[in-house]
Amino acid sequence: MSKPKIGIFGMTGCAGEQIVILNCEDELMDILKLLDIRSFHTAMSKNDEKCSLDIAFVEGALVHPEEEISLKEIRKRSRLLIALGTCAVWGGVAAMKNEVSRQRLKDIVYGSPGRIFKSIPAQPLHSLVKVDFSISGCPIEKEQFLQAVASLVHGDIPVLPKYAVCTECKINENTCLLLEKSELCLGPITIAGCNARCANCGIPCSGCRGPVEEANIASEVEILEERGFTLRDIYNQLRTFAGPAEAIQTHLAKR
Amino acid sequence: MQIVKLPKQNLDKFIKSLSKFGQIYAPIKKDANTSLFSKIEDSSQIDLGYNRTLLPPKKYLLPPIDSMFRFSAEAGYEEVEHGVDEKSILFGVHSCDIHGLRILDLVFSGRYVDNHYFTGRKNTSIIGLSCIPDDMCFCRSMGTDFVENGFDLFLSDIDQSYLVRIATSLGDDMVRASQSLFKEVGKEEIEKHKKKSNEMQKHFKTDIELYNLPEIMDLEYESKTWEEIGEKCLSCGSCSMVCPTCYCYDVFDELSLDGKTGERKTRWDSCLFEDYALVAGGTNFRSERSARVKNRYFHKHRGFVAQYGKPSCVGCGRCIQSCPAKINVVEVITKIRSDAYV
Ligand code: SF4
Ligand code: SF4
Ligand code: SF4
Ligand code: SF4
Repeated sequence: MSKPKIGIFGMTGCAGEQIVILNCEDELMDILKLLDIRSFHTAMSKNDEKCSLDIAFVEGALVHPEEEISLKEIRKRSRLLIALGTCAVWGGVAAMKNEVSRQRLKDIVYGSPGRIFKSIPAQPLHSLVKVDFSISGCPIEKEQFLQAVASLVHGDIPVLPKYAVCTECKINENTCLLLEKSELCLGPITIAGCNARCANCGIPCSGCRGPVEEANIASEVEILEERGFTLRDIYNQLRTFAGPAEAIQTHLAKR
Repeated sequence: MQIVKLPKQNLDKFIKSLSKFGQIYAPIKKDANTSLFSKIEDSSQIDLGYNRTLLPPKKYLLPPIDSMFRFSAEAGYEEVEHGVDEKSILFGVHSCDIHGLRILDLVFSGRYVDNHYFTGRKNTSIIGLSCIPDDMCFCRSMGTDFVENGFDLFLSDIDQSYLVRIATSLGDDMVRASQSLFKEVGKEEIEKHKKKSNEMQKHFKTDIELYNLPEIMDLEYESKTWEEIGEKCLSCGSCSMVCPTCYCYDVFDELSLDGKTGERKTRWDSCLFEDYALVAGGTNFRSERSARVKNRYFHKHRGFVAQYGKPSCVGCGRCIQSCPAKINVVEVITKIRSDAYV
């Protein structure tokens, strides 16, 4: 069986996902034995820009019109397209102020030099192309990436847990920061996979992995309001990593 | 059942002598809010006055993530060693949690006996400990505030001493191994114990009525209450994780990067999870959250009663304590009951 041809691409993000992949030091040789990596600009100097690919891993959000063109091209040449990281899956931090016009944001952040480049409201990949599978996380968890690669090579679509961070947090027997300490924890609506990384350290979950599929935003907001948080604080936290997510948008539109 | 007395000042020595019988696991204080079962080296670590541990002792017998077997293209299946011969002692288990383990025993000894579970179970001895209920405990209603069997020893606190019920020959061996620490029970201790038992009953603040509950639930199958709680529930899974009688697990394969080998594992599942009832072909029998919450209650207080003659809830209060949406089994059942009479 020939090795699957792979491309690893970045849109706008911090390259965190690509760094996580490169940090798989103990596994890199196994990965190279399994995959024929044709394009990975962050790590290789010779990249094939045209060949057809079995799998494209794409990190980052769409914030520039040219990225839309390049993502469409990647989609065209790939059998499977996998969104890597919260920016690619949900828009990420670049999308946290999408309700403010780009022009205004550019003026505030860059002043006059901002006029020389284009910028569009940050969007996740699935807003433009079909995404076959998503691995969220800010950054992704190495183990989830490796599991996904192993499954894909076996010809399976990976199965990652779809439940919330609370499930992992309870398994780790952490004192609940939301219930016992009245902290703004998004664990009940955030997708697991990080093994409740933050709550394990006594820090509330800020939702960096994005929402679970059927996130009950209304109930989470109500719980937080009862604990004295203002809607402004709650919404800011909800928008920090996954503003464009449908569940969050639908809720915001209602309020 | 033979009952002896253990003066509290001898507890430390007794626990030391127990280590001959296996590794001791006991409740410890993690922080001001949380107690949990943990391996202990020293009796001073034990939190004797805990009310409920975050996870019940099921975590040792049905671990949150466990390995079933390894597989490879060449060698086929290969069982995973589980340290099956390790003897352990669960010290300080409350009555409700012993009942919880008995419920797991019932389930795993059914038509398909789970040998893996029972190997661990056989190597685990249980030493019970009396407790004082808080306002989330409703074990009295569930009939689990007293336990008759399912332990080797049971310690009841009577201030200066413990009354120790010896339920098995292993328990008897444990007592005999440090016979000099134990005394005979006198008239005074009997009176003390009766007084303490009465006092303990006065601490109960929470009750539910079990009388004909399965029937009421059938009548209230379409109650609006299920939708109301479905609106609040976040499917966060906390209630199932912390429940001593929730035994559902999911089975999944973890594949290796060599492309040839892997491991089949189990992990705790919850009927509140969105994909719990999702089957091949994409059909989900309980895609609505309200249907899933309803399932949790129907399984524990209706279906289980039909199958095993008793509910699979021991009234430990853990799900009440851990639900972010404040969904409370006592309130739900009370509501369902009174709705039926409106
Ligand atoms: S601390 Fe946060 S993540 Fe952990 S159980 Fe509480 S709400 Fe869930
Ligand atoms: S606990 Fe929450 S914020 Fe922390 S890593 Fe996990 S998903 Fe991200
Ligand atoms: S349903 Fe709740 S109260 Fe009943 S045994 Fe489970 S966690 Fe305890
Ligand atoms: S703990 Fe509460 S919110 Fe979470 S799944 Fe259970 S009932 Fe729903």
